[in-house]
Amino acid sequence: MHPLTMMQLKIDDRILLKVEKPAKYTGNEWNMVKKPLDNIKMRFAFCFPDDYEIGMSHLGMKILYHILNKREEVYCERAFAPWVDMERLMRENDLPLYTLETYTPLSEFDMLGFTLQYEMSFTNILNMLDLGRIPIYARDRTEGMPFVIAGGPCACNPEPLADFFDFFVIGEGEEVIHEIVDEYLSWKEAGENRAGFLKRVSGIEGVYVPSFYDVIYNDDGTVKSVAPNTPDVPGSVKRRIIKDLDSVDFPEDIIVPYIGTVHDRIMLEVFRGCIRGCRFCQAGFIYRPVRERNYEKLCEIAKNSAQSTGYDEISLVSLSTSDYSALPDLCNNLIEFTEKENISLSLPSLRVDNFTLGLMDKVSKVRKSGLTFAPEAGTQRLRDVINKGITNDDLVSSVRLAVSGGWNQVKLYFMIGLPTETMEDVEGISELSINLIESCRDIAERGKAINITLSTACFVPKPFTPFQWEPMDEMDDLMKKQYHLKDLIKKRTRNIKYNYHDARISFIEAVLARGDRRLGKVIYTAWSKGCKFDGWDEFFSFDKWMEAFSECNLDPKFYANRKREYYEVLPWDHIDMGISKEFLIKENQKAYEGDLTRNCAVGCSACGAQIYKTGICAKTKRGLAYGENTEV
Amino acid sequence: MAKTLRFRFSRGQKLKYIAHLDILRVFERSIKRAGIPVAYTQGFNPRQKLVFGLPMSIGLTSESEYADIELSEDMDPCEFIARINEGLPEGLKVEEAVPLNTRDNIMNQITAARYEIVFEVKEPKSLFEIDSMIYDFLSKEDITIEKKTKKGYRPVNIRPLIYSVSAEKTAEDRFMIKAFLSAGAENNLRADLFMQAFSQETKLETDIVSMHREALYTSACNEWKNPFEVAND
Repeated sequence: MHPLTMMQLKIDDRILLKVEKPAKYTGNEWNMVKKPLDNIKMRFAFCFPDDYEIGMSHLGMKILYHILNKREEVYCERAFAPWVDMERLMRENDLPLYTLETYTPLSEFDMLGFTLQYEMSFTNILNMLDLGRIPIYARDRTEGMPFVIAGGPCACNPEPLADFFDFFVIGEGEEVIHEIVDEYLSWKEAGENRAGFLKRVSGIEGVYVPSFYDVIYNDDGTVKSVAPNTPDVPGSVKRRIIKDLDSVDFPEDIIVPYIGTVHDRIMLEVFRGCIRGCRFCQAGFIYRPVRERNYEKLCEIAKNSAQSTGYDEISLVSLSTSDYSALPDLCNNLIEFTEKENISLSLPSLRVDNFTLGLMDKVSKVRKSGLTFAPEAGTQRLRDVINKGITNDDLVSSVRLAVSGGWNQVKLYFMIGLPTETMEDVEGISELSINLIESCRDIAERGKAINITLSTACFVPKPFTPFQWEPMDEMDDLMKKQYHLKDLIKKRTRNIKYNYHDARISFIEAVLARGDRRLGKVIYTAWSKGCKFDGWDEFFSFDKWMEAFSECNLDPKFYANRKREYYEVLPWDHIDMGISKEFLIKENQKAYEGDLTRNCAVGCSACGAQIYKTGICAKTKRGLAYGENTEV
Repeated sequence: MAKTLRFRFSRGQKLKYIAHLDILRVFERSIKRAGIPVAYTQGFNPRQKLVFGLPMSIGLTSESEYADIELSEDMDPCEFIARINEGLPEGLKVEEAVPLNTRDNIMNQITAARYEIVFEVKEPKSLFEIDSMIYDFLSKEDITIEKKTKKGYRPVNIRPLIYSVSAEKTAEDRFMIKAFLSAGAENNLRADLFMQAFSQETKLETDIVSMHREALYTSACNEWKNPFEVAND
């Protein structure tokens, strides 16, 4: 299908040897998929809008790369945002952005799929399109140009990026991507035009074609309605989910990068979703319901993957791994072979209790360097507001267990700026941390105090959470709180190292997270001013962003710091993530009363995900507990 | 059959973009994939018993790198070569392996390296001109360059680390320098630093096209020796 004149770039050594870590740009890694191009009917470029080292750690990309490449007639390749040194040389040498598999410029592809993991990578998307010589605005793309699509968590509010994408995929991709490919192949066969393809995919459940919807605003700037402007497109776009995770392929022959990446190991996804329902956590709501993989199947995958990659580390991933109902069985089975093969097993996202410590003792290869806890808030009152069901005593006894087990480094994660927070709650963070050090003094190694690394993020209200109506804390207040906490800690102890996020980055993140379609021009303007890698402190330019807002006559505080009313039409109301608004309102009200909501394993709270009739929803009925896991 | 082996491997164009530690990791993973019965160190973080002769900087190709490996059971060197090459990516290849009976590991034994460095010059030069530059360069007693160390830059006289240098003209503006330099855990002179010194001292603007390591040597009884020759010392 593709002409033989197809362009394959040759990247000169005089470029590659001038940049840091040139292997980010050369591909050819172990398990990279190579295909003869003659039989390929559709070329897909998976685009990750951040550095290679981040992108290659992303499980979603591994899954879709594997699934697409299983199809003989499809070739999925990879592209990442080039680091600034490489970008400069590419622009100087007139080199377009290319894929690592075949060094083909992005403009030669049939479809580019971006993953939206983080709002602060939005400008990188524009930059990649520009480097790939593809018109940045979807409306400027003409026949023969690639379709540019996106998915991932930030797609649940696609509006700020609506101008740049031909369409979005809402929810999990394993099944819908096949439907999109099938539609593409038959559209190509039929020889229809670009608009024809968009019309075709708009009929696929989970696909949102933003150009088929008009946004009308009220005089006060809020959204009046988002409604279809084209016949036969759905008024609300339903999120896709995989009902049975064991029925879809999980990649075993994953690419093994040559250079170190953030998660340079086998990642075993034990389940999707989370039973906990912490009220600030978007992931806790948009991936419901919890659906587990079979532990025997996971062991099989782990073994095959180790064999195929040569990795010496396996990590169990999920939003809260200790909630996996078959964790003891899985670990016992895994340890049997990992010990023999000198593979280490890591268990992130654990709540430490007796069981997991016993397990960690068994796993002799676990490095006893750091252990992470996320109390999120400093006082019980505020933890109840956010439905983080842990108490001070839980935390003290967990940390004591860990310290007596040989750990002496503890990482603590908190948030600043949560709804209803007072200075007392902020001071609670330091109280709690110092209390932990004191209560471990008697058992710490050689009488030394434990060391705590304490990090505070700024709370950013996100769509589809009970806090989606909440104003974000003012930047000044966030900074005041950070400095106050810093002072408090400095006065009291040397055993705590305190890190905090740049409140200005979080502010822009908050604007983009709950923005509407008008923000497209702000993102474009910020990018034209040179904004990219905005999530990286060394590149973030608050001033450029503020200039962009003012040039576009939009007030960022309208999006970040305004309290929204329950009756307000939210820019993402036409996206149906399977969580009911009534439930979110109820949760919001309960938050103000400090009233806890039970987790899904204890009983159903009717969030709306029951409609999927799968996973934990199919097992928990009328408050019946699920499996053996009955703790709150 | 042997429990400890010394092997020689080459690194081609496709894998020259990665750093030394990455090469180490590629080998570790390839050994795991190939199911070679490698021995591990004890402790919380067991590592394969694998030692490399000399680090390879990014951009360097080589036809003779050496490493020592300890196995948990006896293995025939030929079988080792066949198995490990199955697990190695294109661009890395084990060429030879011999049983190892010395206690000294390869890292401590390497003392010299031979390089081929191809470069372009901005203004046309004859081979005679380059040759006389080399002559002047080698006549100096002190060639001080700023060497990057863990604590910033430090001046080092590299003249004692240069054993011999010669040049060939390979194309219109292109020359190849063959340099025989001190190498190893102590007194290592990298080819790129050598070229930097050469340009600095001769005021010749060079644009390096490629760097290749041709051979590594150990020294024994005042003689340069192939590392395989000392595998049984």
